[in-house]
Amino acid sequence: MSAVLEIRGLDKRFGGIVVADAIDLTLSAGRVVGLIGPNGAGKTSLFNLVSGIFPADAGTITLDGERIDRLKTHRRAARGLSRTWQNLRLFPSLSVLDNLMVGPRHYPGEKLWRLAFDRGGVRRREAETRRRALDVLERTGLAAVAKTRAADLTFGQQKLVGVARALMNESRCLLLDEPMAGVEGHAYETMQRVVRDVAASGVAVCVVEHNVAFIRDLCDEGVFMFAGKVLARGPVADLIADPRLTELYFGT
Amino acid sequence: MEYIYTLVILIALGVVLASSFNLIIGYAGLVSIAHPVFYAIGAYVSALLARDHGVPVPVAMILGALAAMAASIAVALPSLRVSGDYLLIASIGFQLGLLEAIKNVSFTGGAGGLTNIPPFLIQTAGREAYVALVVGVAVLTVLLTRSIAHGPYGRALSAMRDDELAFAALGRNAVAMKVAVFALGSGLAGLAGALYAHYFRFVTPEQFELLQSAAILTMVVVGGIRTTWGPVVGAILLQALPQAITFLDLPVALLGPLQGLLFTGLVLVFMFWRPQGLVAAGEFWRPSREAPDVGRP
Repeated sequence: MSAVLEIRGLDKRFGGIVVADAIDLTLSAGRVVGLIGPNGAGKTSLFNLVSGIFPADAGTITLDGERIDRLKTHRRAARGLSRTWQNLRLFPSLSVLDNLMVGPRHYPGEKLWRLAFDRGGVRRREAETRRRALDVLERTGLAAVAKTRAADLTFGQQKLVGVARALMNESRCLLLDEPMAGVEGHAYETMQRVVRDVAASGVAVCVVEHNVAFIRDLCDEGVFMFAGKVLARGPVADLIADPRLTELYFGT
Repeated sequence: MEYIYTLVILIALGVVLASSFNLIIGYAGLVSIAHPVFYAIGAYVSALLARDHGVPVPVAMILGALAAMAASIAVALPSLRVSGDYLLIASIGFQLGLLEAIKNVSFTGGAGGLTNIPPFLIQTAGREAYVALVVGVAVLTVLLTRSIAHGPYGRALSAMRDDELAFAALGRNAVAMKVAVFALGSGLAGLAGALYAHYFRFVTPEQFELLQSAAILTMVVVGGIRTTWGPVVGAILLQALPQAITFLDLPVALLGPLQGLLFTGLVLVFMFWRPQGLVAAGEFWRPSREAPDVGRP
C-alpha cells in the first residue's frame, strides 16, 4: 500500500482564525479516508490547501513523492490531483457529456497550435474521450441525461456529474467534498459503488462527509478534525463510538 | 466601381476586426476594448517595413500581424496573471500611450499620418485581386473563429467562462488559454491593419482611437456576441451606415460626431430591445455539426 498524497505539518491561519494546525495526513493508493468533524473544523479548508486554492503558511504536500505545495492549482491537478466541490461548480452552459469532456487533465484539443497542425490527432482524441465519457456516464447511471444541460438536473444527479467529471481526470488522488449532501435514494448506492470502484482501481480517495452512515460503510479509515487539528484517526466505527469526539461534534 | 471596391474592403476588414474581437470579448470573455491598437500596429509595422526597409509587402504584412501578436502578449501576460480586470486598464493605457507615441515621433509620420505606403497587387493584378484577397482573409477569419468556438477549444473556453476555479482544478491553465486567444485575435487585427495600409496607402493615428474601439464593439454587440455570423452582420451594418450618412447632405463637421452618436445610440437601443444582438447565441454551448452524434443508441 503506497502513499500517494503526503501532508506534513500543514499550517494555515486567516488572521486569528486557525484553519489548519500542524496537519499530518497520508492518503494511500486504493484506500478511502473519511474526514469527519463539525462545521468549521477545517475539512474543506484542507481540501482547498491541498488543491492550491490558497497557499499554506507552512508545511509540505507531496504527490507521488514530488512536492506540489508551491504549485498553482492547475499544475497540481495536472500532476494527478482532482477534487469535487461542496457547491458543485459544474459548467452550467455545457451538457452533462461536455462537462465530462472537459475533465481529462491533458487535452490536445485545447492547444491552438494543435488545432491548426494536428487536426487528425485532436479528432482521434476527441472520439476516444467521448467513448470514455459515455462509459463513465454509464457507470454513474447518467447515460440517459448525457445531452441534458448540467444545470437542469436534480441536485443528486448534479453531485454525480461532479464526481464523474473528476473521474475523467484519471487522477492519482481524488478529494470528494460532501458528495452525499442532498443526495437521496438511488443515487446513494450509485455514489457508494462509484467511489469504491475508483479506490479499487488504485486511486487514493479522501471524503469529507456529514452522512455518518455513508462514511462508515465506505471508508477504510476515519480522521476526526476539530479547529484545524487532526484529533484522532482509526476505524470510523471507533471514532463514532468515542464519547469525547461525539461531544465535540455535537457541541453538547 | 472603385467606390464599391473600397466599401467591400472596408466591410471585409470590419468582418476580420469584429470576428477576431468576438473571439476575445465573446468566446474568451476577456474585457478589453483596445482592439484598434493592434490594428494600428499591423498597419504601421507593415507599412514602415515595406516603405523604409524594402521588405516585400506580403512578408511585411505577416510581420505586421506577428508584431501585433507579440505586443498583445506583452500586454496580456502580466495583467492576466494578476486578474482579468487589469487587462481592460492595461490595454486602454497601451492603446492611448502607443497612439500618443506615434503622433510624436517623426519616422511614423507623426499626427499627420504615414504616407506613400507601397501598394500591393493593385498595380500588377488589379483592384479586384486585392478585394479578393481581403474578402478571402475575412472568410478565413470567420471559418477559423467558428472552428475554434465550436470545437474542443470553444468547449473549454465555455467551461472557463462558467467557472474558472473548477476549470483550473481540472488541470487547465486558464491564463495560458486567455493569452493564446488574445494573441490570436490581436494578430488577426494586425493582419487587417496591414491589409488596410497597403490598399489606402495612408494611415493616421487618429483612426485607431477610441471611436474605432466603439465601432468594433458595436459591431460585435449589435450583430450578436458569441455567434459566428453576428460580427459579420454587425460589420456590414456598421460599415455601410456611416457611408450611408455621407450621402445625406450634412456639413463635414457634423459627420464625425454623428457617427459616434450612431454607435452609442445603436448599443443603447439594442441593450433594451435585443440584448442578445441581431444573431442570438444560446446560453448552451454547441459542438459543430461535424462532430459525431452521441447520446442516441
